Parts: sequence; structure tokens; C-alpha cells
Amino acid sequence: MDKMIDDEMLVAQFKSGSQRAFDELMKRYQRKIFGYLLRSVRNYEDAEELTLEVFFKAYRALGSWEPKAKFSTWLYTIASNLSIDYHRAKARQPVYILEDEEAIETKLVATDISSNPEKQLEDKERGRLIREAVDELSAKQKTVFMLARYEGMQIKEVAETLGMAEGTVKIHLHRAIKKLQTLLRPLWENNEI
Amino acid sequence: MPKCNISEAHVIDYVYGELEQTQTSDFENHLTTCNKCTRMVAGYNRVLRTVDEAENEFMPHVIVPRNLETKLYKRLADAQPEKTSLLTRLSNYFAKLHLVMHEQKIASVCIFSLAVIVVAFFVGNPFRPTADLTLNRTNSANARIEQYRHQDIQRNFEDVLRKKHLRNTDSWDTVSHLNRVKDQAQGTDWANIANNQLKRVHSEF
Repeated sequence: MDKMIDDEMLVAQFKSGSQRAFDELMKRYQRKIFGYLLRSVRNYEDAEELTLEVFFKAYRALGSWEPKAKFSTWLYTIASNLSIDYHRAKARQPVYILEDEEAIETKLVATDISSNPEKQLEDKERGRLIREAVDELSAKQKTVFMLARYEGMQIKEVAETLGMAEGTVKIHLHRAIKKLQTLLRPLWENNEI
Repeated sequence: MPKCNISEAHVIDYVYGELEQTQTSDFENHLTTCNKCTRMVAGYNRVLRTVDEAENEFMPHVIVPRNLETKLYKRLADAQPEKTSLLTRLSNYFAKLHLVMHEQKIASVCIFSLAVIVVAFFVGNPFRPTADLTLNRTNSANARIEQYRHQDIQRNFEDVLRKKHLRNTDSWDTVSHLNRVKDQAQGTDWANIANNQLKRVHSEF
């Protein structure tokens, strides 16, 4: 299928019965959506499950979807809502642990056997502490922070994706960065990072 | 040193590149003289840099799980059909009906046009105005009445002349008949003819 065909055209083709149009849309966005959700939930299997859920919802709702915003924005809206629900559900659970982080790193990071193993351990520990600080943010703060920082969205796009006013997005972003600064300061002071 | 009125929100907007070009250059000018803002910018940038490093280490490349499409279609196949309200179902029904009507619009127009042509061919022009029809009928009837009147005058005139020729009447009868015909023929050419005949009869007395 021609890559130059824009998303809205593919949506129109899907509405008129073309299954291949949806396959193409999924091919275009599965990496981005999975990456976004993986950063957000820090668990490979949960991220996969949520990615499937995003496309499942999109497939079912696409027939009645009106292109008021970009298709990608709509997908991110579904993903963000699922991610926020996921974090809220997790927050209700008594213990929150990043049990799968080791497993993810094994899957995602190619081990460089020539480097110093001690240094590697230190780096891993440092990264884990920082990510734990990011995970301390509230669900909305984290979602806003991730979209703005790692999905290359402007404040306006984040606002559109989350259905918020731009001012609200800025407030969440400001609080997120201030909170991160507070959480990371002891680590800097102790030279842990 | 003048007191700094820049808000933290403004500093974070700067760090995120959300300020407009003029605001950015104004703020950068301000940074050259304000230690407080310079420290804030450095602090926020340090936060972002630190988090970026940790996030990039966590996920240098995204490896998408295999067969996501297959899993999705399996899930879609297993899923129960969505429960919809009566209103939604009615709305969908009318939407489909509208779509069918729209698709068959051309066919409907063709069939209607053909029907009009057939009716026009077998029955007559269905678009002919009714008022004209009545007028034509009236005109036609008046013309026929006028035609009968002329025929009647002609017949009476011939009768007068025949009786005069056969000498079945006297001159007074002939004059009387001609006067009746003349009265009957008022407004037509027959009146002149009858008048001429009357003059001839009088001259014959």
C-alpha cells in the first residue's frame, strides 16, 4: 500500500470495507503506541496488552469516528486514557513494585560484554532510581510529561490528546518537573546519580 | 540588581521551548543579568537531562511484540458483539437506509424519468395547462356555432331565391323573407347580399 496515503484516507478506506487499510494504520502506529505505553507502565506484557486494547478499541470505534483531530492524536487519546486507568488501578493495589524491569532490560538492551560489569550495575541502579522517581508522579502528571517529552508533542497537541485546556497541561507539566526536582535532589546530593 | 518578576511557569515554558521567538530572546537577555533565573533554568535542564538518560537507557530501541495484528484479529473474533441501545440501533438503521437511498438515487431518477416519458407518449402531454385546454374547447365550440349560423342564413337565403324564381310567392312575401334573412344575417356578408336583393325586388315592383 502506498505510504504516501494519509491516515484520514486510510480511515475512509477502512470505513468503506478495506481491512488492509486498518492493517496499514496499525503498522504505522503500533511501534509508537507500544513504546509510549511501555514507558508509561514499565511492564512489557502489560504494555503489549494495552497496545492490543488500544487497537481493539480503535477498530471498533473507527466506523463512527469523525476526523475532528488527527488520527494519531485520537490513538494517543485512547492510549493515554488506558494508561491513566492502569495507573489508577495499580495505585489501588497494596504493593507497587517494578518486578519486570529486569526482564524488560534483558529483552530491550543488548548486553555489552566488553564493558565493566560493576559500572553496568551502577548505571542500572541509577536508572532504576530515576525511573522510580518518574513513576512517583501522578497518573496525569506522568502522562503529560511523557507525551510532551518523549512523544514529541507540543503543549497544544498534548491538550488536544488529553482533552484538557493548554493551561491545565502546563500546570501538570510544571508540577511534574518541580516534583521530579524535589525527588531527584537527595540523589544528587548523595552523589547516587 | 533589579528585582526579578519572572514566574517559574515562564521559566519552565522556556525550558520546554514553548515561548515565542521574541519572548525567548527577551528571556535570554534577562538570563545574562539574573542569577536566580539562570539557576532555575540550569536546575530544570538538569532534571530533564537526568530523566532523559534514564529513559533512553530503559528503552534504547522499541521492539514491538510479534504478531500483534494476529492477536488483535483473534481478540476481535472472540469478542461479543457490542451491546447497543435501541436509539443507536435506530440511528444506524436510518443511516444505512439513507446510504442505500443515496446509492440508488440515480436509478430512481432514471425510472421516474422513463415513467414520465411513457405516460406522455400514451396519454398525452401531462404537463399541458388545464386553462388553455378549456379555452381551446370554448373557442372551438363558438366557431362551430358561428359556422351553423352561416349555414342556416345561406339555406334561408337560397330558399327565398328559389321560391321567388319558381314564383311560389308574391313580391311582398319575398320582401318579407329577405328582411328576415337580413335581420338574421346582421354582422355578416350575407346582410349586404340580402340588402342588394331587396333593392332589386323593389326596383322590379
